[in-house]
Amino acid sequence: MLNKTAMNAVHRKLGGQMTDFGGWEMPLWYPTGGVKEHLYVVEKSGVFDIGHMAVVRLKGEGAKALLQLCLTRNIEKLAVGNCAYSVILNDEGHVIDDTIVYNMGGDEYVLISNAGMGSVVAEHLTSRNTFKDVTVRDDAGNFGKVDLQGPSSVSIMRKLLSKGKGSIDGLKYFRFLGDYAKKDSAAQLPGDIPVLLSRTGYTGEVGFEIWSPFDRVLEIWNMILETGGDDVIPCGLAARDSLRTGAILPLSHQDIGHWPFVNTPWSFALPLDKDGKLTKSFIGSKLYDNPPSQYTLPFCGFDPRKVETDSAAVLLNGENIGAVPTCVIDMAIGRADGKVYSVASPDKPKDFRARGLSCGFVRVDKNLAPGTKIALKDARRTVEVEIVSDIRPARTARIAI
Amino acid sequence: MKEFAELNFDKEVSYTKTHEWAKKTGNIVRIGVDDYAQSALGDIVYVELPSVGGAVNAGAAFGSLESTKAVSDLNSPVSGVVVKVNDALSDSPELINSSPYGDGWIIDVEVKGDSDFGALLKSDAYAEYVKTLEPIEAN
Repeated sequence: MLNKTAMNAVHRKLGGQMTDFGGWEMPLWYPTGGVKEHLYVVEKSGVFDIGHMAVVRLKGEGAKALLQLCLTRNIEKLAVGNCAYSVILNDEGHVIDDTIVYNMGGDEYVLISNAGMGSVVAEHLTSRNTFKDVTVRDDAGNFGKVDLQGPSSVSIMRKLLSKGKGSIDGLKYFRFLGDYAKKDSAAQLPGDIPVLLSRTGYTGEVGFEIWSPFDRVLEIWNMILETGGDDVIPCGLAARDSLRTGAILPLSHQDIGHWPFVNTPWSFALPLDKDGKLTKSFIGSKLYDNPPSQYTLPFCGFDPRKVETDSAAVLLNGENIGAVPTCVIDMAIGRADGKVYSVASPDKPKDFRARGLSCGFVRVDKNLAPGTKIALKDARRTVEVEIVSDIRPARTARIAI
Repeated sequence: MKEFAELNFDKEVSYTKTHEWAKKTGNIVRIGVDDYAQSALGDIVYVELPSVGGAVNAGAAFGSLESTKAVSDLNSPVSGVVVKVNDALSDSPELINSSPYGDGWIIDVEVKGDSDFGALLKSDAYAEYVKTLEPIEAN
């Protein structure tokens, strides 16, 4: 029996194509289709039900020390109202899950992790806790979550917030307001709905992740659609997957997982100083004394053709050098005169039309420079792609608001 | 994906169990994919087409459909020689979603005789077959 979010009946009513995602029944896309949903988030905005994510709450004097032991990220200087991306490793330096850690103030931290991982993360933290006065709690069942992502999200949130409206002016990337679990939250939506409003997301576009009490999430979904009008549509997990890939964001248990967390595009999760040395030791940090020769690198294709990730090999001059954990199509991009443009690129050629490009990540045993051509081969065909340093240009996630 | 009752099974064409359709006019067979396939696959964004003049074999792959989430082989309902491909699909692959039996046709094949049609299903039999299927896993 699959888990269902507070929004399940809405997805079915909207005609969502439902799928099993990490033990949750979630919409892949609505009748609008994955292409339009992806483009809407790049050009206007989309609203996603993300209620399948997990939340673990920590409180107490030792909470920070426990997190410093269990997270790769050095949160020593993480200020109240700030959040940061991190991974959680086992003793071998393999990924248990990734997370965003929120400093709520008053020795309280919130960890957001992936579908089905709340109890795993909570048990891991508890088993490693030797610090005084820390409670670790899987908050499953107590929250709902929708993400509003895309350039129109800022004006929609400004119109909607009943408390905290002024505070989103100047709210920077990876800052947040309020707490869904507190009645007097600094961020509230009409009807006195307390929310945790975070300027983060999983699309590469400017937007918000919005946590609320479980039983209020439908109201939020409806008010976003009503206030957003033509500037927002419901989007499913397929668009979320293609948007995050174009933004070079990893999917836990697919791009990172039970193998060493080394040489990835996500090394910002490691506590490295300017010389590349670790600034703290943590569970798994001994991996970095002698890291294996393994590289996770982004690639971009020359047309939309994908390969089957389960079976595809990466060929460099005919030699098999690795696997393809993610291969999707970013429908907002295309090539013109050899260069990749997005529908949002200010310098795109006149008459540019994005036909979509395959893109994703390869995990290989050689470091390859951007521009290196490789072939992805599955049972059906061989597709040539190139290693790149970035995929979808002109993303808005970091813009000033 | 559409509910079964919403699916359109064109009465004028014959079907394969891999969800292609074929319609014979003279010695030319037009080939496409049906409403069930386009609905289950979601947005079609790229079509790999064969070359004009190439041979296709009944039951064998002649190209592929790329949707946002998956790649599917196109299997030929008949054996013959490709005499025409739908060039509009390179610019507008979404025609397969919007008009699977019309503007979203894929290739024309010249055949000798109609022996291959014996293995194909008429729309009523095909609809009965589709009813027994689990939805195509698009992920």
